[in-house]
Amino acid sequence: MPFSRRSILQGFGGAIALPKLESIAQAAEKPSAGSQSHRPAGTLRFLVVGNPLGMHPPNFFPKDFGRDYTMSRTLQPLEWAKDRFTVFSHTDHGMKSGHGRELAFLSGVLPETSHAFPEKNMSIDQLIARHIGSDVRYPSIHASLQTGIRMVWNANGVELKPFTDPQRLFEHLFLNLSEQEKRHQLTTIQRNGSILDAVREQFAGVKAKAGVADRERLDQFGTSIRELENRLKTREEWVGRDKPEFDISHHLEGEASIINRYNAMFDMVAYAFQTDLTRVATIAFPNELGYTDVNGVNRGYHACTHNGKDEQVVSELVAIESFQIEQLSRFMKRLDEIDEPNANGSMLDHTVILFGSGMGYGGTHSNRNLPILVAGGGFKHLGHVDTRSAAGKNMPLCNLYVTLMQRFGIERDSFNLSTGSFSLDHA
Amino acid sequence: MRSLHRLFGIAVLLVASTSVLLCPASHAVEHAILQRHCSKCHTGDEPEGGFHLDMLGGGVTRDSREYWQSSMEYVSLGDMPPSEDSKVTETERQQIAEYIRDVVLARDADVAADYQIPTRRLNNREFANSISDALGIEDPGTHFPLGNLLGDTLHDGFDTNGDVLGISEYHLEQYVDTVREIVDAIVLTGERTPSQRYEVPSALLQMSSLNQRTTRRQSAGRNSDSLEFRDMRLQMSFENFKEVPTTGYYRIKIRATGVDRGYYDSEQTGVYDGDPIRLSIHFGDRVRTYELPDNEVKEIELTEWLAKGTRIELSYPTDGLRKRGNGNFKFQQSIAHDHIKENDPELYEKVVSKIRPKKAGGRNLRVNHWSYWVDYWRGPRPRVFSADVEGPIYKSWPPERQVALVGESPNAHNAEEILKPIAERAWRREVRDGELDPLVRLVSMRQKELGDLEAIKEGIVAIFVSPSFLLINPEGASHPDRFATKLSFFLQSTLPSDALRDFVRAGKLDDYPSVRNAIVEYFTSNRGDEFLDEFPQGWLQLDRINFMAPDPDHFAHYHRKGVSDDMIAEAKRFFRHAIETNMPLPEMLTANFSFINADLAEVYGVDDVPEDSILRRYEFTDQRRGGMLGMGAFLTLTADSLGTSPIHRAVYVLENFMGIKPSPPPGDVEIQEPDVRQAKTIKEILAAHIAEETCASCHRSIDPYGYAFENFDPMGAWRDAYVQVSVSEPVSEAKVPKRKKSVEKQFELPIDASATFRNGNSYDDIVGFRGLMRDEANQKQFVRCFVKKLLVYANGVEPEDTAAVEEIVLKSAENDYRIVDTIAVVVDSPLFREP
Repeated sequence: MPFSRRSILQGFGGAIALPKLESIAQAAEKPSAGSQSHRPAGTLRFLVVGNPLGMHPPNFFPKDFGRDYTMSRTLQPLEWAKDRFTVFSHTDHGMKSGHGRELAFLSGVLPETSHAFPEKNMSIDQLIARHIGSDVRYPSIHASLQTGIRMVWNANGVELKPFTDPQRLFEHLFLNLSEQEKRHQLTTIQRNGSILDAVREQFAGVKAKAGVADRERLDQFGTSIRELENRLKTREEWVGRDKPEFDISHHLEGEASIINRYNAMFDMVAYAFQTDLTRVATIAFPNELGYTDVNGVNRGYHACTHNGKDEQVVSELVAIESFQIEQLSRFMKRLDEIDEPNANGSMLDHTVILFGSGMGYGGTHSNRNLPILVAGGGFKHLGHVDTRSAAGKNMPLCNLYVTLMQRFGIERDSFNLSTGSFSLDHA
Repeated sequence: MRSLHRLFGIAVLLVASTSVLLCPASHAVEHAILQRHCSKCHTGDEPEGGFHLDMLGGGVTRDSREYWQSSMEYVSLGDMPPSEDSKVTETERQQIAEYIRDVVLARDADVAADYQIPTRRLNNREFANSISDALGIEDPGTHFPLGNLLGDTLHDGFDTNGDVLGISEYHLEQYVDTVREIVDAIVLTGERTPSQRYEVPSALLQMSSLNQRTTRRQSAGRNSDSLEFRDMRLQMSFENFKEVPTTGYYRIKIRATGVDRGYYDSEQTGVYDGDPIRLSIHFGDRVRTYELPDNEVKEIELTEWLAKGTRIELSYPTDGLRKRGNGNFKFQQSIAHDHIKENDPELYEKVVSKIRPKKAGGRNLRVNHWSYWVDYWRGPRPRVFSADVEGPIYKSWPPERQVALVGESPNAHNAEEILKPIAERAWRREVRDGELDPLVRLVSMRQKELGDLEAIKEGIVAIFVSPSFLLINPEGASHPDRFATKLSFFLQSTLPSDALRDFVRAGKLDDYPSVRNAIVEYFTSNRGDEFLDEFPQGWLQLDRINFMAPDPDHFAHYHRKGVSDDMIAEAKRFFRHAIETNMPLPEMLTANFSFINADLAEVYGVDDVPEDSILRRYEFTDQRRGGMLGMGAFLTLTADSLGTSPIHRAVYVLENFMGIKPSPPPGDVEIQEPDVRQAKTIKEILAAHIAEETCASCHRSIDPYGYAFENFDPMGAWRDAYVQVSVSEPVSEAKVPKRKKSVEKQFELPIDASATFRNGNSYDDIVGFRGLMRDEANQKQFVRCFVKKLLVYANGVEPEDTAAVEEIVLKSAENDYRIVDTIAVVVDSPLFREP
């Protein structure tokens, strides 16, 4: 199902002209309208695109390795970007087979065993969002249709639910608060601020009485008060400020096909990246959704994975999977047509995209050899990589996650099940 | 592996210092006895284990303390001097040990000077308990007010470690929101809401769906007069009472019964006939569980204070019904097929005849497929007839808990008067003059826009965001207040009651006998339950039990019956028993009994226990099991999923029972990965590793603590031989055989569970090992370890003063190392009291 050229053009229509940037750094400098030259250098964004059923392996994984590999059937839509992404073979979380373990996609950790890990089963997007902090209005945004696939978890092991309705996502991202809502938010922020003021004063008395042994941790407490006060101030500014304008109505007019709605969601994420509303996003393709809008698909997604190798059913599965790759390709193209302000390359070069699943292939219920693809991000991409060790063991996917974290300047060399990192250079 | 290396460290230290000259040679002369016996290995440029005698200096100082302590441990255990290359006699070894102990006890002044423990943040447990007690409520509330708090990081199993309990602006912000939510569910603004009654007939009982799509109607389990739990993964709720509309008391009545217990063979269902069918009622994270009588209606009635937004949900708690297929409940329903086929041929024919072949493209399933038999399921299950909810009910208005907190009609002008008693409870001390001024100003500033009541709430929130509440003993409070706080957090994980503070201030806990009486009182009155639960949890690192759970294919029972929960319960029950009987500590390690139920009996290979889930005292006659050395929890959490590692187990024993932390192997050592497919025993594999001299000196000290457990498999069950199984992935995932039949090659290898300690003692198997653990040196070392673990739990840091620890051990010895007495000695010691 090739996406129609018309819809792409629509997606760009009008909206692309001179977006206003959102970030605080911008606000401080009060740029002239539409100027993009003040975005802090080194801005990097992160998008995860995931599904819960994996990919049909013979059609997803290219037959040969290296930069010069032959594009596989499912990956055809990405032919144009062959040097802009890497396909990883033989990496996984070492999970046993069966549904339900794909929940560990972005952490390697299942909810039931998460108490053994200090960061629980926090997903990598949340780890990166936390690192980016309050520089942007929304630490992260999550989108899906109909229902989520449970891939995003915070540091408490709490699942973050995605927006499952493009209209609601639009309202969240681009609709300005009513005056009453703004007032309510401001009141809460101010009330919390006053509480902190009172605590800070009382704290001064505590500190004066404290012994030497307690000084260090009390300083930590004092710093926390100061930093939270700053954060509340930042947030107060966000509440008052208008959000960038955007129009997705053309996607939502007429028939509400899943194609239109995914186009709308990807466009909103692209624009949110472009205007620095957020730098972390996830988009999911759930199992329960009907994909019959996609050309050639008659059956349910899950049923197609249990195809008994019937050629017809396999081709339906491949159509669903290709649809996902097409959406990815469309998004990448879109980012690639925007110059990254204040830096070399396009916005795609400054956006790390992770596509994949916590399940290897639904047909066998295998959770080994996950379909994993990393695009953009200014990496020197490697084509199709066999990540197995000399002994033939699959690489822990967490190794790749360590690499991605490091790309974001997070100084750590391990993440949950990692045994090292994957060497992927960037420009 | 960590423990091995500390040993190395010591050995090396003894050798290295001549060249380094860390301290003048005269020191070494002072320790002539050590020179005589240790200098051969522990001097020179490359001393054994990285320990050079000069590192001991002239006596115990801050810098040398660690080396003295390790030296004492290794010598008293007989690891040093090693019997293999010295001719030291037992008497000489004792003389060396006594010499070291004397030096340690004659500590230098700078070590003893400062006992003050640095303050730390409350962990989430302590936060929940403390704020509830300070506000006079049963728990923080049924609306998940703590849901956004960051999880606590554990350190060596304990959640009380000051270093990892950090505080950041993120924490602080969550505290502000959390406290606000808790207070909002106590102090109610606005008019009194009249009570309403919601009758929930069976038609309005509804079952949740596993599907995120809720459109599909759940028909199975619905009778004309009731709704049943056909699937224990689901929750039941009330269609006409989605959530609590207004905070207040609610009276909830539920009529339910248990049906079909024992209808199927318990071998098939995994539910013991001896276990009653239970029903849990969830109010947020507050859970009440009831046992249901068989075929007889039970009227459950309860009254609960529920916060606005709380959902009421019912569930069916059971660890059974997972024995078929991959453990998913739905496969269990094929039991109905087997049962009907055998007992009701007529019905069987009827059902089978209704099975229609699937339309083109569909797969035809066998007649015993679970999906055909869902409606005929007769496993043990709760049946709920109806419910009745009434509320909000207020005995008076404003509600009592609000009046108790802020008074009948609070006025912002009296803010100080209202806040002061709350602050004194929350801060565990007297409020200083003028200290509340900023809070009072906050209240009066907010009064105008928010009104009196809401403004006072702001002041209450500030009390609980203050460091005086969130940190333990952060400031110069009076000594009795500090001690009361510490004791209360140690035993109850909450702030001290007024009574306890008065008691301590009156000097009634100033000596050992009074402390001992108080502790006995805690344990006999159930006020010490939090300690009885949390201390063994942290000490034995029970949180790790499923970090590498036994492989689900080869240890199905472990997963199908949730055996890790039974193992954790066993360890805690045993600990509680030790306290109740004031058991001598060393007995805990090697007792010949434990507390087991039918699930554990299956793991332990015992068949004379009743068929139910109740833990009962059981005496093992084989001398292999019983006590902490035989517990499944320890044996499982130290094993990998398919194999066992004597080194992991040795390190666990050293760290948690012997109190010795071997240092980790140097980074450049290449450690061979275990390969479960090869025909070698772990001992043979390790032999190669240990042949290297760099590894040998530590492993000779570590490994004997682990080999004894080789007869216990990854789940902790006894085995006489290694049964090696080759595991293989499907060769190509593209072609998966229709019926997956993994080809597994099996072969058996004999187990060698013998080893020799460095002091020359050897054992053949676990029976011999347990015997050696009963000798005096090991017993004392176990007590020392326990004392240190208690102090880590209480203080959040490792005790630094070796001499003070030693004094505790000596005093404990006067009381036969009995556990309650030992706890009392610890609490009475300067390490706890912080004079």
